[in-house]
Amino acid sequence: MLGYRSLSIKQKQVVWAWSFLALPVLFYSVIRFYPTFGAILLSFQEWNLLGSKSWIGLENYQKLFADPVFWKVFNNTFIYLLLGTPLSLLVSFIIAYNLDKVRFMHGTIRALYFLPFMTSTVAMAWLWRWFYQPVPIGLSNNMLAAMSIPQFPFLKSTFWALPSILAPAVWAGLGFQVIIFMAGIRAIPTTYYEAARIDGVSPWTILWEITLPLLKPTIVFLVVFSSIGFLRIFDQVFNMTTNDPGGPLNATKPLVLMIYDTAFNSFDMGYAAAQTVVLFTVLLVVSLVQLRIMRDR
Amino acid sequence: MATVAFKNLVKAYDKTEVLHGINLEVADGEFVVFVGPSGCGKSTTLRLLAGLEEITSGDILIGGRVVNNLEPKERDIAMVFQNYAIYPHMSVRKNIGFGLRTAKMSKEDKEKRIEEVGAMLSMTELLDRRPAQLSGGQRQRVAIGRAMVRDPAVFLFDEPLSNLDAQLRTQMRLEIKKLHQRVGTTIIFVTHDQVEAMTLADRIVIMRDGHIQQVGTPTEVYRHPANLFVAQFIGAPSMNLIPGKLVAKGIELDGGALVPVTPIGASANITIGIRPNDLTLAEEGEPALLEGQVSVIEPLGSETLIYVDIGQREVVATVQGRILPKLGETVRLNAPQDEIHFFDSDTEIALKV
Repeated sequence: MLGYRSLSIKQKQVVWAWSFLALPVLFYSVIRFYPTFGAILLSFQEWNLLGSKSWIGLENYQKLFADPVFWKVFNNTFIYLLLGTPLSLLVSFIIAYNLDKVRFMHGTIRALYFLPFMTSTVAMAWLWRWFYQPVPIGLSNNMLAAMSIPQFPFLKSTFWALPSILAPAVWAGLGFQVIIFMAGIRAIPTTYYEAARIDGVSPWTILWEITLPLLKPTIVFLVVFSSIGFLRIFDQVFNMTTNDPGGPLNATKPLVLMIYDTAFNSFDMGYAAAQTVVLFTVLLVVSLVQLRIMRDR
Repeated sequence: MATVAFKNLVKAYDKTEVLHGINLEVADGEFVVFVGPSGCGKSTTLRLLAGLEEITSGDILIGGRVVNNLEPKERDIAMVFQNYAIYPHMSVRKNIGFGLRTAKMSKEDKEKRIEEVGAMLSMTELLDRRPAQLSGGQRQRVAIGRAMVRDPAVFLFDEPLSNLDAQLRTQMRLEIKKLHQRVGTTIIFVTHDQVEAMTLADRIVIMRDGHIQQVGTPTEVYRHPANLFVAQFIGAPSMNLIPGKLVAKGIELDGGALVPVTPIGASANITIGIRPNDLTLAEEGEPALLEGQVSVIEPLGSETLIYVDIGQREVVATVQGRILPKLGETVRLNAPQDEIHFFDSDTEIALKV
């Protein structure tokens, strides 16, 4: 019998590599790939969770693309993405850039920024929901009233509801982004800045031509990471609009909430699966496009 | 081009004083090298001169003008850093041009100036490359180019050759020296490598623990070290030091040998120093200064280092020629009397004969 000892070094390495890879391969196959392919298959079927599945071809997709609610939701999802990602990156960069220079209570301030990231989204969403309530409950409107300023509709307006929900979502992610940005800023050698000081260029030039270009890998990571987050937004919306999830008039409904609705309120699993496939495709395309655009040439 | 002067320069971080009153005048066009072990304050002095750090007290003058409170850009200096500090995301051209960003010149003039510098450093064909595509020596040249492009009054070099391999270091050393001969700008160069200091400098400033130990031409500091530290720091291999005592007829060394010289102002404890290349093998029958067994032999090609165990200590001798003592053999060593250096063992200061 040929034993392990008779293998070449290369073959031994292969044996070891595969023994270590076995667990993740198993995990990905059972937990990730199998359900993914299951969902894709399901998107061509009709199923109410209990009865038998029946093959209906592209009918789910036809229904989806003809559904005005889907287009509204699709639109909302992109507004979350296009507002949330740049805004959160800009704010977190400004905080990180300035916090990096602060010595006084540096650790405490950083911890304060990081705190929301560790807090439960549900608790946070309910707290912000309370901020937004009309007089005499809501904090913000009470403050406005105290200053004799008219009520602001926040979650009641079809226009302002979405930004109102986006605000806590941006705020919650700040801590993480600030930490990543600070790590990126710290990684830039100080001699770059000293050389620039000797050359006498302005702080503005230093920021635009040294700091930001050298932060590119950090920025790419955060853009992709935060885009995926905003495309998958759900908890904030669901918790802040519980009596009419995604309301008013679907003004705040993101794709994930629509999927949830279709699957667990209408029990139309095939239709929900079709929406999931669309979301998956969007996530994939957006991530790939971003990576391609921002890749180092 | 300009002179540089330090007057009672003191630098302290909180309560820790790291420079204890540096006084030095650098002439216009002079190449001065600061050398010393790490932590001696040489880089701090340079950073103070550059304006990257603030001085605690004293004065720094560039071209006769006190620059204590001027921003780096107002001091008319350029600096080359140990890790080059060239921007990885810019082409060589942009990197060199970065120093001209604030210059009041037309775009064409700047472009011309960059080309000139590129040509001077023979890297015209590399101008459009990215730093990642360059070798270590070429990156170093870009860093020098960026400093040159502004045509500053003083060049500052902060250990610029430390990141290069031995061969390149020798080559770049030569290039820097040639560059200085051509442009003639005042250069202040910091290094921990005494060979670099010896080969490059018009004058060497040897520092230790925030004090200047000696200032002089390479020959002066080699021939007449001011104290034990300088004696050991300058020259490779290091000077052999042998402690001894003052007796009536001269100095009696620890091994029992007698050096029949009484230095001026000698106290009870005297250390003598002999450079390895001043130690020679004594002829048969000739009286010898030191005697011991060969413990290690290091051939260097043109010469050979032999380590001789002379009792409590070991001395190194440079031996020329092909007939060499063998390992374990007893050898007798001599040194010409005027090549023996004398130091007070307690104050470590050199004594004249």
